Amino acid sequence: MSITAASTSTQPAGKPITVGVADLSVAKGPGVNIVTHALGSCIGVTIYDPSTNVGGMLHFMLPDSKINADKADGNPAMFADTGIPLLFKNAYELGAKKENLIVCAAGGAEVLADSGHFKIGSRNRTVLRKIFWKNNVLLSADDTGGNQSRTLHLSLDDGRVAVRNRGMENVLWPI
Amino acid sequence: MADINALISDIESLPTLPTATSQLVGMLGDDDVSINDVAEIVRVDEALSIAVLRYANSAAFGTPSRKFDLRESIVRLGRSTLTKIVLEQQAATVFSGGCDAFELSRERLWRGAIGGALAAESMAAKHNPELKDLAFVTGLVRDVGKLVLDRAYGADYVASVQSKLCADRTFVDAEREAFGTDHAQVGAALCRYWQLPERISRAVEYHHCPPESGDLHDELTDFVHAGDIVALWSGISLGSDGLQYELADHVKKSLKLSRRAAERAIASMWDSLRSIEEALGIETDGTKRSVA
Repeated sequence: MSITAASTSTQPAGKPITVGVADLSVAKGPGVNIVTHALGSCIGVTIYDPSTNVGGMLHFMLPDSKINADKADGNPAMFADTGIPLLFKNAYELGAKKENLIVCAAGGAEVLADSGHFKIGSRNRTVLRKIFWKNNVLLSADDTGGNQSRTLHLSLDDGRVAVRNRGMENVLWPI
Repeated sequence: MADINALISDIESLPTLPTATSQLVGMLGDDDVSINDVAEIVRVDEALSIAVLRYANSAAFGTPSRKFDLRESIVRLGRSTLTKIVLEQQAATVFSGGCDAFELSRERLWRGAIGGALAAESMAAKHNPELKDLAFVTGLVRDVGKLVLDRAYGADYVASVQSKLCADRTFVDAEREAFGTDHAQVGAALCRYWQLPERISRAVEYHHCPPESGDLHDELTDFVHAGDIVALWSGISLGSDGLQYELADHVKKSLKLSRRAAERAIASMWDSLRSIEEALGIETDGTKRSVA
């Protein structure tokens, strides 16, 4: 997996940083856009500090690294409980402050007729909220659930967060 | 109702199946086929030879410092792995045009195909190892029908299907209402047109609604069905059709798919996919690594 602490100087002009599945990236703006595609049951988390223009995005697949600690060591961005702390830590290293962070999330969808048996998306949403609650982090906005695929965008010019789905755009932040 | 065979014969730019793939699929399950037979297919194709060399010399195979030439690489990989590599490489040709109607780029189509194939293979490995290779191949081609519908109708296809969708209705049901057929049936017709074995075509046809019993029931279909859902959960095969699919109850039971088992299957499929991608120089976002 790739964990990048990109800055404007390393990003090709006009090209957004693409966060893959089980991947995360943090960067310092302005002039940087971050995007992740095909959020299904997975969840995309964005953080942004307006005072420093530092922000980042995580695309995690599964809630709990306990299913395989070795995998979590090799690829912490795969799981919510290892990926979320790493996203915040990497942003702090670029100068972000926890008290300034605007946090958004999207994804956590389900396949149909999943009446409580698997609930992969729902478990992802629950664990995400639990981690934030335990760490006094407030979720500013989210677009989660349903059964659609989502693309999540974060602009480090102004912290704008947008979710695209089937040609429609939903701006999560500013609210 | 759309005439599927007419649909296929009318499309000029129909996805073609590389000769090497047809040859290899024909060899599956044939015990008389040796590694030399597979090697012959590889040697005559430059792109395949390069892919085999990269694999055999990649970190995924724990290669020591010395480099292996093509012949050594072929022996080192063994027949089953070699077959898989050839099919993975050739899938890129089938999916090279992308599938705009489902908002799937060439890279995402390939990744979704391989991911579903790996998950189906892993289900088969656990429940009926004899079907492993067949499950992989069928998983690989399970969604080729989307390519045909993309060529035939473009973006109108998904837009028309979406107009028939509601919260608890599968995409396949909505396809049938809008067009009288669905991408699985169209995919099966393409597999038959390619002259793939009937068992593969049938599993492609039923991979979203595997029959629970009767003549049409086949474990292979169950493995491909479950592999498809694992790929959807992971997000790698998601297009504009979203997650409007369901996992059949009887497959959930017969494969003993608990929540934990499903999460493990997702994680393990992703790991296997990344090993392949790393060997092929593909980044975690699915794009090809640029050569400095």
